[in-house]
Amino acid sequence: MHHGEEPGVIELTINGEARRLDADADMPLLWALRDIAGLTGTKYGCGIAQCGACTVHVDGVPTRACQARLGDLAGKRVTTIEGLHPEGRHPLQLAWIAEQVPQCGFCQSGQIMAAAALLAERRRPSDAEIDAAMEGHLCRCGTYQRIRAAIHHAAANS
Amino acid sequence: MDRRDLLKAAGAALVVPLAAEAQQAPPRVITEAAAGSPNGGPGQLTAFLRIGADGRVTFASPVTEMGQGTHQSHAMIVADELDVPLSAVSVIAGQPEPALRLQPVNEMYSGASFGIRFWHDRIRRACAQARGALVEAAAQRLGVSAGELGTAEGRVAHAASGRAIPYGELVEAAARLPLAEAPRVKPAAERRITGRAAPRFDIPAKTNGGAVFGSDVRLPGMAHAVARLSPVFGAELDGFERGSIAGIRGIVDVVPLKNGVAVVAETTWAAMEGARRIAVRFKPTPESALDSAEMSRRLRAGLDAPEAVRPRNDGDIDAALAGAARVIEATYEVPFLAHAPMETENATVHIQGDRVEVWSSTQHQDWCARDAARVAGVPVGNVRVNTPMTGGGFGRRLHTEVVEQATIVAKAVNRPVKLIWTREDEFAQSCWRPAFAARLRAAVDSQGRITGLHVRAAGQSVMGDYRPALFAGPLRGNDPFSLQSLADSRRYAFGALRAEWHRVQAAPKVWLWRSVGGSQICYFVESFLDEVATAAGKDPYQLRRELLAADARALRVLDTAAQRGGWGTPAEPGRHRGIAFVDLYDSLVAQVAEVSVTGNRVRVHKVTVAIDCGDVVNPDSVEAQMQGSVVWALSSMALEGVTLKDGAAEQRNFDSYPILRMGSAPVVETHIIRSGERLGGVGEPGVPPLAPAVCGAIFAATGRRIRSLPLAAHGLSV
Repeated sequence: MHHGEEPGVIELTINGEARRLDADADMPLLWALRDIAGLTGTKYGCGIAQCGACTVHVDGVPTRACQARLGDLAGKRVTTIEGLHPEGRHPLQLAWIAEQVPQCGFCQSGQIMAAAALLAERRRPSDAEIDAAMEGHLCRCGTYQRIRAAIHHAAANS
Repeated sequence: MDRRDLLKAAGAALVVPLAAEAQQAPPRVITEAAAGSPNGGPGQLTAFLRIGADGRVTFASPVTEMGQGTHQSHAMIVADELDVPLSAVSVIAGQPEPALRLQPVNEMYSGASFGIRFWHDRIRRACAQARGALVEAAAQRLGVSAGELGTAEGRVAHAASGRAIPYGELVEAAARLPLAEAPRVKPAAERRITGRAAPRFDIPAKTNGGAVFGSDVRLPGMAHAVARLSPVFGAELDGFERGSIAGIRGIVDVVPLKNGVAVVAETTWAAMEGARRIAVRFKPTPESALDSAEMSRRLRAGLDAPEAVRPRNDGDIDAALAGAARVIEATYEVPFLAHAPMETENATVHIQGDRVEVWSSTQHQDWCARDAARVAGVPVGNVRVNTPMTGGGFGRRLHTEVVEQATIVAKAVNRPVKLIWTREDEFAQSCWRPAFAARLRAAVDSQGRITGLHVRAAGQSVMGDYRPALFAGPLRGNDPFSLQSLADSRRYAFGALRAEWHRVQAAPKVWLWRSVGGSQICYFVESFLDEVATAAGKDPYQLRRELLAADARALRVLDTAAQRGGWGTPAEPGRHRGIAFVDLYDSLVAQVAEVSVTGNRVRVHKVTVAIDCGDVVNPDSVEAQMQGSVVWALSSMALEGVTLKDGAAEQRNFDSYPILRMGSAPVVETHIIRSGERLGGVGEPGVPPLAPAVCGAIFAATGRRIRSLPLAAHGLSV
């Protein structure tokens, strides 16, 4: 497909709000969120779905926004880190603060979105289940130990 | 701190000529000092500090917040010394000016684990000066002597009359008073806030998408640019075909750079697609054929080359080796390493007439200003450098090429521009921890004691790329980074010690990488000490105890790690331990790694860390840095290495340059020793001991010596 052949408007829901995004259908959701919807909490780390920094929920499913084509998302419900909780007080966000998880913080939006999807599936995950769910999320600052503790903390306090 | 201490703290050899050291301002009216300060504003009391009428304190930090928690620690020091509630203090990234510059280099940058150890006393002093001015202003208003007044909770109080005045009401008067040259700074016993864990104020925004990083900056009318750079080191742009991306909607321009192009568009995606697809040609370079085999050949040749710098030559190593009961020798090699911070290079530049404003995830504010000023053709004082939250630094962001590039683009398109690098360019065009080789020889007597150590290392010069004029000039080719933690440490009593380094030349750019020379030297020396221990029939912990016998402070660190790490006690079945020690940036760190090896799978279960960094401001940050350093170090020693082919890196993204993932991360247990000695660095010293500790454990488990990294190159997985 020749890039730019499908200019147009894509209608979808982002964080509970109906949005009409004027962008190429080929544009990855990551860049539509950041540049057009003005939501910069979702990050670019690699562009090839290897790092997890761009993780959002599409209809509740954790999705790499760098690989999600805008044209395929018409009518879908997208949740970003900004929309995880109206006041930023999701049990995971509170746990992340209680355990002082973030260092530089750049990977943490994706980490939290993946953890939220895990806890939605599994109320009290084991260490092994946490490792499996979070395996795709790189943290160069090395906060893994505290991420694991925070997920347990949130699971215990939900 | 006297001049010698400053030089030592700067990590430079003693031959560094003293740059014009920023003098503390002589007593003069504060308002006069604040006028013209780029950090100036209402309520200014020192270069760092403003107090609003509402009593809120704003501190301009000289250090980039890149995850190490320094902004929080600075807030704690301010609250403690100024006697305000911690909640009343906000920290902002400072603008470059004399008081915010590291000395003796006289530049504003974040590196060498200086965030607390260099700034702690200076921040306290500035706060003490401010507090003194506030007290004097209150004394004048109340008609009492300053000696009758005390400060607490953001107010000056007169106990005798019960009157108290909030700082906010005193600032204007205080700003008209001179600052004391020798203010009274609180001794350790009077400090109430520092030394106890406090939750970081920057963390909540990092959990809800609210934190603004360099790559998140948005300005009205801003264009997005993505670079496309030559993967071959040193290759210059030859030409490009603008027409090759004609079909992409939203392209604004293509701007040539020295080593590539920047594609400019209305959205990042269009720019990124353009950068990916544009037809671009690069000129050949003399090193276009460089590969890893050739690199390794140069390192090995460097071990035998006659030319070498010899910063340490204590005693008579030749006699020690000649008279030894045994000589143990081994050769080690480590690869190039990438920083790979999670946020790629970025800079946003807005040129407005003869003024330039820059936003960048940077560790070197002065070099950003210098580069932007040079390209834009404006005085450097006309450049404002804004440092947003930074997605990982690790030394990478001391390099400011992206700011130079972004300014070129902003000038070309006459709009504010945000330029980012792709992850591919971040790997390919980055600056690396150099590949290094070393040959080590130890003389051992009949009691198994080391009587001499000879280390010859070979690798590229970090200082040669980082500060070439300093390296070639005053340092006379002696790079203090090359043998860091060996040549600059006097903890181990080796008897005779000869440490020498041969400079290898190659095209890749080498740079400071978290713990710099400590990252290769500690692995070489500590791994080799394990070999000597085995040859001498000694326990590796006991061997080190002998070497540190005269150093009570170092022994305490080593013993703490050993005891807390269970050394000498039975481990769980299949688990073995290794131990290592490092003296880096004024901190002493020892680690015990507990490891099991099953077939080719190495599992690092637990790492016990003991750190003596003198004192701590926020102990939770120290613990976090030790956890992070261990993961960083394990990732690099187990998985990482940049290999070269056809003059370029073979690794371009995380699929080919793996980073440690959660399932492989060990439990890290940290023990902080508050010795009361001089403050030491925290961000880096936790890195070097991990690799040799793990290798020592692997030997204990398998009898196999790991003399080159990463483990993956030996078919070992973690």
